[in-house]
Amino acid sequence: MAAERDPMTFDGVDWDRWEGGRGVGSVQLLEALAGLVLLGALCFDYVLVAPGEPTIAVGGAGGPGAEAAVVWDVSSVEWLFAGVLLLGLFHIAVPLAENRRMTAYYWRQFRKNGLAVVSLGYLGLLFLVGVVGPIIWVAPNETIDYASAYAPPLGLGGGLSSPEHALGTDAQGRHIWHLIVYGIRVSFEVGLIATALAISIGTVVGAVAAYVGGYVDEILMRYVDLQQTFPVFILLLLIIYLYGASLLLIILLYGVFGWEGIARLVRSEALQRSEQAYTRAAEAAGASRRWIVRRHIIPNVSSTVITAATLSIPVFILGEATLSFLGFGDPSTFSWGRTISAGRADLDSAWWISTIPGVFLFLTVLAFNFVGDALRDATDPRSES
Amino acid sequence: MRWYIIRRLAWALVATWLAVSLTFGLLLAAPNPGADAAAAQCAAQDRDPGECRERYLERRGLDRPAHVQYLDYMSDLAAGDLGYAQSQDKAVTAAIADAWVYSAQYFVPSIFISALLGYSIGLYSALNRYSVTDYLGSFVAYFGISIPNFWFAIVLILVVGVYLRDASLFGVALEPLSLRTYYESDYPVFSVRNAKQLVLPVIVLATASVASQMRYSRAQALEYANSAFVKTARAKGASLWRVLIVHVLRVALVPLSTILIVDILAVLFAGSFVIEQIFQIPGLGRLQLTAITQRDTDLVAAITLIPVVLAIVGNLIQDLAYVVLDPRIDYGDR
Amino acid sequence: MGVDPLLRVENLVTAFETDTGRIRAVDGVSFEIEPGETVCLVGESGSGKTVTSESITRLIATPPGEITAGTIWFDGRELTELAEAELRALRGDRIAHVFQNPQETLNPVYPVGRQIAETLRIHDSGGSRPINDQVIDLLDRVGIPEPTDRVDDYPHQLSGGMKQRVVIAMALAGQPDLLIADEPTTALDVTIQAQILRLLEELQEELGMAILFVTHDLGVVAEIADRVIVLYAGKVMERAAVHELFEKPAHPYTRALLACLPGRGGETAPIGGEIPPPADPPEGCRFHPRCPHAIGACRDGDQPPLGDVESGGTDHRASCVFYQSGYETDRLETPMGERTEPTGPEGER
Repeated sequence: MAAERDPMTFDGVDWDRWEGGRGVGSVQLLEALAGLVLLGALCFDYVLVAPGEPTIAVGGAGGPGAEAAVVWDVSSVEWLFAGVLLLGLFHIAVPLAENRRMTAYYWRQFRKNGLAVVSLGYLGLLFLVGVVGPIIWVAPNETIDYASAYAPPLGLGGGLSSPEHALGTDAQGRHIWHLIVYGIRVSFEVGLIATALAISIGTVVGAVAAYVGGYVDEILMRYVDLQQTFPVFILLLLIIYLYGASLLLIILLYGVFGWEGIARLVRSEALQRSEQAYTRAAEAAGASRRWIVRRHIIPNVSSTVITAATLSIPVFILGEATLSFLGFGDPSTFSWGRTISAGRADLDSAWWISTIPGVFLFLTVLAFNFVGDALRDATDPRSES
Repeated sequence: MRWYIIRRLAWALVATWLAVSLTFGLLLAAPNPGADAAAAQCAAQDRDPGECRERYLERRGLDRPAHVQYLDYMSDLAAGDLGYAQSQDKAVTAAIADAWVYSAQYFVPSIFISALLGYSIGLYSALNRYSVTDYLGSFVAYFGISIPNFWFAIVLILVVGVYLRDASLFGVALEPLSLRTYYESDYPVFSVRNAKQLVLPVIVLATASVASQMRYSRAQALEYANSAFVKTARAKGASLWRVLIVHVLRVALVPLSTILIVDILAVLFAGSFVIEQIFQIPGLGRLQLTAITQRDTDLVAAITLIPVVLAIVGNLIQDLAYVVLDPRIDYGDR
Repeated sequence: MGVDPLLRVENLVTAFETDTGRIRAVDGVSFEIEPGETVCLVGESGSGKTVTSESITRLIATPPGEITAGTIWFDGRELTELAEAELRALRGDRIAHVFQNPQETLNPVYPVGRQIAETLRIHDSGGSRPINDQVIDLLDRVGIPEPTDRVDDYPHQLSGGMKQRVVIAMALAGQPDLLIADEPTTALDVTIQAQILRLLEELQEELGMAILFVTHDLGVVAEIADRVIVLYAGKVMERAAVHELFEKPAHPYTRALLACLPGRGGETAPIGGEIPPPADPPEGCRFHPRCPHAIGACRDGDQPPLGDVESGGTDHRASCVFYQSGYETDRLETPMGERTEPTGPEGER
């Protein structure tokens, strides 16, 4: 009913607050600062720390000579991940916090979908475990112990099961739980970084194509057509064959080949909006195209983009898992796909090795799909109701 | 109209040429794992790896200037010569010819099932919101797009192959009903035994694609379910089926045609590698994986092109279908 | 009135389940239609007139909507009890619909001839003549020039007025006894409106069919109605023969509606306030928050039952406290055109 709808939707937000004068807001200052810190740490790792040496080695209890308690060689993927999380914080979390009414409205709509709320909780928990987990639980390779190989999960009987490895162990005695925890990080890294990349490229391409129009639009859209038709998985296999498998490569490939849907969406939304009054007004006031695209069109297509993005995450996660399963994943990571594949040989005797990570993978992808669909229903005024 | 068809055909040809050239370019620019392997082999045998590498490249004409190689490649392609598959010890075309039959056997039924099942459930759900079918359909849809197909296959094999084999229901042994889990390539193509062993692969492969087709068709149909012309059809006394098929489906086909073929193909192609690997079907997917592990670059490149070309053709068919399906389009525009 | 009415709606209640609760879009509406007459259902948007018209043939989407009470008698059969298959036999054949926007009513991917033929095909009522001939005949009857050429045209190739004529042809194909037209002229240009109205009148005379005409436009009502039913917030406010409604409007709402029309002498006066939220209608008479004459009795209890209005023997009734026994109507004598301020929800007078 018209009377019920809260007018403060994402689209109604006064983005001109951000432009203000030429001055810079305090939030933006904070963001710049955080970015600089990250960049500084990155440089530290790449320039000052010798390759192969851990980035951080914090001393443990006991005197000199004792093993470091926290040893962490930050990989390039992890730097990217930190960067993406930072971006997410400043460009999604902060605007949400600042526009209370809008966030409350979206949340109310979202809350109607019980499954989605549960999924969100699950994902949040998983994310926490994935980030904090490696501090609590050691890397799976540290748990290798052939004596306790093939231990079944607790509750399934068998002499080898014990609370120490409650979910069982694999063929080399690695604890399944540790494999799960380290796998969470891989999945989230793939999902979030690739999606961030896809959003960035897709939004720019779509908005530019819509606003500039003409030949530029034609060419860009032809390319989008081409990329959409292209069976990406096949290409991924080819490239990994040629260049070798690394998580970074996989993430970059998904990001670079996964944006066409977003570009299309952004373009069609932007086309609708460039016809609208406020854009014409901005033009009349002499605003440059770039200004208009950046200040008027991009912020107003955000809700569509976020939804499309949330629905891309499960696609990327599944893709990486499949690649790992087939043996094309990064051999130095513990992707769930890899664990599942490793358990295939012992399917009839030690089924838990393949099954348990599979359950986690399934639930995670399912959760992202539920959340994504609920987001779409919450932000799309035309949605079925 | 004719002009439009010609333009689209021309575009399809250009796209194919682009795809082929890009693949070629990629192969040229990237390190050649085949050469690397040859060099490594030589080094292990205490011979000069550099020399072996050069000999490897020379034998394949890979040391010639780029444009010469390109022209050769394109002319060979045009003549139907796709190179020699080292790992299979036969010409690439022969290797592909042997393998594609096995792929087609599960691929083709999957396409039909995805389209038929996906669309009918999607359409029915749209017009019967909140019915049992609608909820069931939603469940299947979420399940289908979320479940990792390799894991699904494994679980099915576990259940069917391991548990069901020994189980009995009410004293009747289920063993004769159980499906083969690992593929036996000797069975004649159109036999019951062959069909039995294709059931599981088709189920796994089709699930993801049924799910996505269901979602798309349901979403499109919903757009039209409450439209005035559907109401008019009902006001004329049309039955549910008539409304569904003659009105909703026909109109929804217009936007759906833009994803119909290519989308199904994309899902199925990606899934085929996993299916063939797990069920041990000697099709193109498994051939590709073998070629990769054996560093057979010629074969890898050729098999990569197959889905690409099929996708381009699919896209062409879609574009033509779109124009045929929507009488409002003025051919001058698009 | 010796003849049984063609259609008799009694206390119809149609409700919708929404996020905000159950909404009764139609809350106890009754009226009849005699064979061959034109009855207009009048009201603002949100009054329930469209839902009423669509409830007759149960075109309402069944979740979330539902006919929860009342009866609908058509030609001796109770429509709310009929199974879907039997209802389908009636739709298009005995009762036909014409909807508002012809652009959307016609399926864009089929030629118009085929869509008209569909009615014939569904009901197999073609008789012996080839369907195409009948279609051309129908097109001709609704005034489309060169019908043989137009048969294969697609809807987007026709103008608005032509499209609506096609829609009428589709409705007529089954030779219905009752035509339910929901704002058929609202989306058209004024000149075309007049043509379509004239067409409907001619066809009615020719075929002897009854028309239930749903509209918010009193000008249209004045032109074609025999009788008028005024709806507000899901309830009937007044019913009268068309002349009496315009000359001696009884209910304050009807009067206010008429006062909104330009050209009746005096100033036009908009009705203050808004239509009540459907999920939470006011107590008592639904119109009382906006009624300039509301008194204490208007605020309590149910909507007053339809009471007779003394105006000359025909069936003229209004749902207003002042037309119940024990009240005098001279308190309602506000001359037409003179502004009275609405008293708001309190209704202090």
